[in-house]
Amino acid sequence: MRSVKFPAALLAASLLTVAASAQVRYEDILAAPSENWLTFMGDYASNRHSPLKQITADNVKNLTPKWFFHINEARRLSSYPIVYDGVLYVTNSNEIYALDAVTGRQIWHYRQEGVEMQRQNRGAAILGDRVFFVTSDCHLLALNRVNGAMVWDQSYADPKEGYHCTVAPVVVKDKLIVGVSGGDSGMRGFLEARNAEDGSQAWHLWTVPAAGEPGSEGWGPKTLPWGGAGTWMPGSYDPETNLLIWPTGNPWPDFYGGDRPGDNLYSDSVIGVDLDSGEMKWHFQFTPHDVWDWDGQEPPVLLDLEIQGKKRKVVVQANRNGFYYILDRTTGEFLHASPFVDKLTWAKGIDKNGRPILNEGQIPTPEGVEACPTVRGAANWMSDSYNPDTGLFYVMTLEACDIYTSSAKEPEPKTGFAGTGGERPPGASGQFILRALQPETGKRVWEYPLTGPTSAWAGTLSTAGGVIFFGDDDNHIAAVDAKSGMHLWHFNMGQPVFASPITWAYRGKQYVSITAANGVFTFGLFEPAESTPIVDTGRKP
Amino acid sequence: MRIGIFLLAGAALLSAQQPPHEAGDMKAAAGLYMKDSAAIAAGEENFKLVCSGCHGITAEGGRGPNLITGRNARRASDEELFDIIKNGIAGSDMPPSPLDDPKVWQITAYVRNLSAPAYRQPLKGDPAAGKAIYYGKGGCANCHMIRGEGGYLGPDLTNIGMDRNLSQLREGLLEPNKRFTEGFRPVIATLADGTQIKGVAKNNSNYSLQLLDGKGRLHLLDKRELKEANFQEKSWMPANYKDKLSETEVEDLLAFLAQQTIRAPKDSASEE
Repeated sequence: MRSVKFPAALLAASLLTVAASAQVRYEDILAAPSENWLTFMGDYASNRHSPLKQITADNVKNLTPKWFFHINEARRLSSYPIVYDGVLYVTNSNEIYALDAVTGRQIWHYRQEGVEMQRQNRGAAILGDRVFFVTSDCHLLALNRVNGAMVWDQSYADPKEGYHCTVAPVVVKDKLIVGVSGGDSGMRGFLEARNAEDGSQAWHLWTVPAAGEPGSEGWGPKTLPWGGAGTWMPGSYDPETNLLIWPTGNPWPDFYGGDRPGDNLYSDSVIGVDLDSGEMKWHFQFTPHDVWDWDGQEPPVLLDLEIQGKKRKVVVQANRNGFYYILDRTTGEFLHASPFVDKLTWAKGIDKNGRPILNEGQIPTPEGVEACPTVRGAANWMSDSYNPDTGLFYVMTLEACDIYTSSAKEPEPKTGFAGTGGERPPGASGQFILRALQPETGKRVWEYPLTGPTSAWAGTLSTAGGVIFFGDDDNHIAAVDAKSGMHLWHFNMGQPVFASPITWAYRGKQYVSITAANGVFTFGLFEPAESTPIVDTGRKP
Repeated sequence: MRIGIFLLAGAALLSAQQPPHEAGDMKAAAGLYMKDSAAIAAGEENFKLVCSGCHGITAEGGRGPNLITGRNARRASDEELFDIIKNGIAGSDMPPSPLDDPKVWQITAYVRNLSAPAYRQPLKGDPAAGKAIYYGKGGCANCHMIRGEGGYLGPDLTNIGMDRNLSQLREGLLEPNKRFTEGFRPVIATLADGTQIKGVAKNNSNYSLQLLDGKGRLHLLDKRELKEANFQEKSWMPANYKDKLSETEVEDLLAFLAQQTIRAPKDSASEE
C-alpha cells in the first residue's frame, strides 16, 4: 500500500530549482508538497500528506499561534492558502492577499472592483511568476506573484447563464483547469482548460450532454439545458495516464426528479478527462438520479492499493451519499463500496456494478421524508487525507439525517428554485466524527467524535510527523495521533472553520496554517521572544 | 470598509422606510443634472459651503473620507450617492442635508465628476504618442508594469485609467513626492554584513520589513537581521518630468495612461 509516487530524479531536480530560481514550475507542483504548498490539495493525488516532520506527535503539544491575519470583509472564508518561498497567498471573494508567511504581514492585496457577486472562493494557483484565482463572476485572473500586478483577466463563463465561480484553479503543465458553480439554481456544468500564458481557452468539456448525445436520454426537455453537474471543486491529476480525475455536482432541480427521469449523467460523478484534449475517457456516477443534493465533490484521492491480492491504481472517495468507493482510476471500473457512516437509510448497499440498491420510502415528497445522510452529506468538499506511514485514510464524517421535501412545480432556472430541500429534524443536528479508514476495505480503524453544532466544513491534513491536523465544528484547530486518533493538541480560534489546514516550512521551520471564518491563523513550535532593536531611520511623512 | 457597509445599510434603510423618489424619477433627475456643467459648478459652490468642513475644500478628505479616491464614492450609483447626501448615513457622522433636492443633485453631480476615472474624462493628448514616451523617453516601464510587463518599484498601471482621475494622474507624474503611497515607500536596508538592499517597503513594522527590490526579488526580513532600514524622503520616481517632457508630451502620456484599463465597464446611465 502506498500513495502515488513520482520519480526521485524529478523530485530532486525540482527542489534544486525551487532553491535557485524564483519560477514555479509544473515539476515543482508535481513533486509537492514539501517546504511549499503549491496547489489546493497540496499534491495532484489529493493525498494531502506532507513529508515535513519537524512537528511530531511528541512535540505538537508545544505548537503556539504565530500570527493571525484578518480579512476585513470576510465572514465565511473557505479558501485554502498556498505557500511558495515564504509567501502565503489567500483569497476571499474577488480578492487575493500575498502575506509574509512567517510574520503574517501583508505584501500586496488585489481586489477586483466592480464585481457585484460576492461568492465564496476556494483559493489560488501558482505557476512561473504568476498567481491565479477566479472572481465570483467567473473571470480567471493572472497576477504577478511578487507585486500583485495584473497580467491578464479572462471571462470563462457568463453569470447570465446561471453561473458563478468559486473554484481554486488547478495548474497542470501549461494549463489552468477551472470549473463552475450554480448547479442548485440551473446551469449547464462544464470543465475548462485555459492556457496559463494568456488565459485563452484550450478546451471545454460539458458535464451535461447536449440533446441527442449519449446520456441526454436520462434528462427531460425542461432540465437538459440546465442540468447542473457543477465543477466547483478542484480535482486530481494522474501524471501516469495524463488524466484529470474530476468530481461533478448535483443534477437540477436538486430534490425533484420528475422532470429528469433517468440517471442524469454526468452529475454526481467522477470523470477521467484527458489533459491534452479535454476528452472524457471514463465516468463513474455515485448517485444516479440524485434527489438529495449529494454532489460528488468530495476529493478524489489517488492511491496505489492492493485490492484482493492485486495491485491496483485506484481513486477512492468518501461520497456525500455515505458510501466509501474504490474505483480503478485508469478505467473508472467499480471495485468496492461500503458505508462509512451509520446513519444511512437511502440505500441497502451498492451492487456489483456500483449502482445503489435503493430502500423504499426515501424519495423526497411534498410532505417530507426523513432520509440519511443529511443534505450536508456524510462527507462533503472538505479535505480527506492519506498517510503512507500508517496506511490510513482520514475523513471528516457527519452522522445526520434530514427531512427531505420536493415540489413538482415547473422548474425555472436562475431563480434559486431547487425543487425544495432538506431540513434538520427538530432537535437533531447530528454529529461530526473524524474517522480513520483502512483504504483497501473502508473498514473503520479509529474514530474521534466532535461535539459542536455541525455547522463547519473543516477537513484534515496528514503529516510525516505522525500528526493529523483538522478543524472541528467547535472553532478549534486540533491535532490527533495518526495511528491511534488520540488527542494531542488544540487551539480555540474563536470562530468557525470552513477550510482544511496546510503545512509548509521556511528557513528550516515548519508551520501549520488554516483559514478560519474571517482570517488566517498560522502556528509553529514555541520559541521565546527575543528583543528587537529599532533600526528604522527616516520618519514617516 | 466601514463606509461601504454604512452606505449599503443606509441605502437599504432608505428604500425600506422612505423612498424619496420613484426609481424612474431618480433616473430622470440623475439624467438632468449629472452631465450638466452648470449643475456641476453650482454643486461645487454648495459643496464648499456645506460639505468641505468634513470632506475638505478640495474633497480630498479630513474628518470625512476622500471623495476623489474613495472607493465607496466611486462605487455608489448616482441614486445612492444622492440618497447619502440627502439623508446622511445612519450611525455615522454623515448628517442629512438641509438643502432642497435640486441643490443636492448638483452636489451629487459635482462629487460624481470628481471621482470619474481618467478613462471617462476628456483628454487633450495623443495616446499613441504617449505610448512611445512611456516605453521610450519617459522610461516608465523600468519601474511600472502594464499587463505584467515592466519593472517592480512602482505601482501597477494596468488599470490606472479606471483607478485614478486625470488630475491624480497628472499629479503622480509631475509631483511624485506630494503624496506618500503605502506599499511603495523607498528604503535602503543594510544587513548585518553590510550588504545594502534598495527597494520599496511593501510593508514595515518594528519587527519585520517586506522589501521588494528593483529586480523583483522579495526580501522578507526580520528586523533583528538588519543594521538599518533607511527610509528615504523622496520617492524613487523621478521628480523631473516637468522639465524632461514638454506640455504636449505630458498630455500625450496622460492620454496613454488614461487608456489603461482592464474590465472597463460598459457605458451606463450612472457612468455617463
